[in-house]
Amino acid sequence: MTLTNEYEGDLESVEPIDAAHADETTAASTATSKTVGRQVLVLAESEYRLAIRSRWAVALTGIFAAFALGLTTFSGASVSPEGFDRTVASLAVLAVYLVPLVALAFSYDAIVGREESGWLQTLFSLPVSRAWIVLGTALGRGAILASATIIGFGVAGGFLLLEFGLAGFDTYVAFLLSTVALGLAFLAFGVLLSTLAREKTHALGFALLAWAWFVLVHDLLALGILSAFDLPGTALSALLLANPTSVFRALVLGSLGAAGDAGFASVLAEAGLSPGVLLGALLAWIVVPIALAAVAIRRRRV
Amino acid sequence: MQITITDIYKRYGDVVALDGPSFEIPSGSTFGVLGTNGAGKSTLFGLLVGHDRPDGGTIDVGGLDVEEAGHRVRERVGFLPEHSGFPGSLTGREVLSTHARIRGLENRDERIEEVLELVGLTDAADRAVSGYSNGMGRRLGLAAALLPEPPVLVLDEPTAGLDPRGVTAFHDIVTRIGNETDTTVVLSSHVLSEVESLCDHVAILHDGRLHASGSVESLCATGDTVTVSVATTNPSARARLLEELQLRVEELEVVHRDGSSDRLEVRCDRSRAFDLVAHLESDLVEHFEVREPGLEAAFHRAVEGGSMADESAPDGHKLRGETAHAEGDAIPAEVGR
Repeated sequence: MTLTNEYEGDLESVEPIDAAHADETTAASTATSKTVGRQVLVLAESEYRLAIRSRWAVALTGIFAAFALGLTTFSGASVSPEGFDRTVASLAVLAVYLVPLVALAFSYDAIVGREESGWLQTLFSLPVSRAWIVLGTALGRGAILASATIIGFGVAGGFLLLEFGLAGFDTYVAFLLSTVALGLAFLAFGVLLSTLAREKTHALGFALLAWAWFVLVHDLLALGILSAFDLPGTALSALLLANPTSVFRALVLGSLGAAGDAGFASVLAEAGLSPGVLLGALLAWIVVPIALAAVAIRRRRV
Repeated sequence: MQITITDIYKRYGDVVALDGPSFEIPSGSTFGVLGTNGAGKSTLFGLLVGHDRPDGGTIDVGGLDVEEAGHRVRERVGFLPEHSGFPGSLTGREVLSTHARIRGLENRDERIEEVLELVGLTDAADRAVSGYSNGMGRRLGLAAALLPEPPVLVLDEPTAGLDPRGVTAFHDIVTRIGNETDTTVVLSSHVLSEVESLCDHVAILHDGRLHASGSVESLCATGDTVTVSVATTNPSARARLLEELQLRVEELEVVHRDGSSDRLEVRCDRSRAFDLVAHLESDLVEHFEVREPGLEAAFHRAVEGGSMADESAPDGHKLRGETAHAEGDAIPAEVGR
């Protein structure tokens, strides 16, 4: 049996396996897995280091902390323990606008930017699959974005914790983790756009369009469709799942009991999708774009 | 490690980048791929390291087909792309460390020190790459390519954009690698003198086709034509010289240099050159020289005269009407493929 990678020829010829060679094959397979793991980690670490040195990490953390603290200060003042939920609802509205924008801004040049600097050509010349280059890049940047989100929004959470104590803090933790997932979904989408774009300016344009679509247009359009037509519940679910920000809102609002939002958000709360399905959808919004980017990069000509 | 390129074909849309060149790159040689811009050099190198897939033909590196085993080929090939670059905030040492770790090299630190010393970047190793000059960046790229001690080193336009000192430094390193190791060095360039001084074998590409290949010595020795160059600053002497030369040779090329000095160049048979020089009036001539045909002449002859025979074409892929040529044999001009 011969396996041939359609694009790169990265998979080597595999001889027929008999029992005598089984151990050897297993050992070789383990070695290959270790190699792949090592390569992905090196690439991720490299991306992480570059983001730290370019001060992206500090900037992202600062942006999240500033907005979260500002909103917490104004929406959380003189509130009762129920105010914890209300603050989370306010932060969720902020996160829907801010986090996708920041994630796309941080990721749109992940691949195309590296090509313009010549680093991608250098990496392509190494014995590492292009798919792992995408994965390593996404992991490195994802780690930065996740840390920045946790620290930035965590600072606000710390203040809330001091004010309200532990009661209701689990809601904030759920919000924080959902925000990380939302950021990673848009980061993954940005990496995909960056892989498909031929130039950095194109990638930036696509990223802004994607932000406008998911954050501004999609919900308005969905609301219009829902009010114009008598659609079944599955259509509502499909509309919800087709947008990571809608999934995020449904997830956070679900944990809050649909408090504190209006418009499409109230429709989302009625969709009745379980937190497990919503989490799965958000996870799919992270994994699928990365997988598509890993396939698309094999066609990329440098 | 020998490289065999067989009928390789690549097109991008309507543009045919490579139109079936076939040649062999001998193991341990320093091989130059010559061609004008758009000749197909970078496309060929991209295919050689598996950056892209050919639409036809094969490239075999030490018994491995690049299309089927690109990953394993890249383990054996150190490649310096034409447009290579490194993240500016990393130091030179960190760049090399990243390469070494991706490649899984065991004696990393030791090897990094060796290549840094070889390319003369030891003192700058801990500086951020953003502070490197263009030449230092190219040398860092070369160091990265050399890290795994590859049996094949591929350099795409390695000295493009370098200042004269950078070019000289790079030439010295490549010469050392060629002389002191068994590495097969393949480099592309459109600087003929560079290829002539560094390489022992060469292939000339034009419009994606192979127009000549073989040892530099054999290509340069092609034909009996030599160039006689006569210089004078005296306008009246120049006119007389011109008349005199026109009486004796049919092909005459006049080169004006800076307006202050005129040089008359004549291409003629070797046997006639001595006769010509003997009949020049010495009071008219300030300087003269007789030049053997170099790679420049071979290049122009190959490009203008269509394909030339390939002394190292793989079996079954000889150029039309070709017979095998021994090293140093004259390579006749032939009709293009």
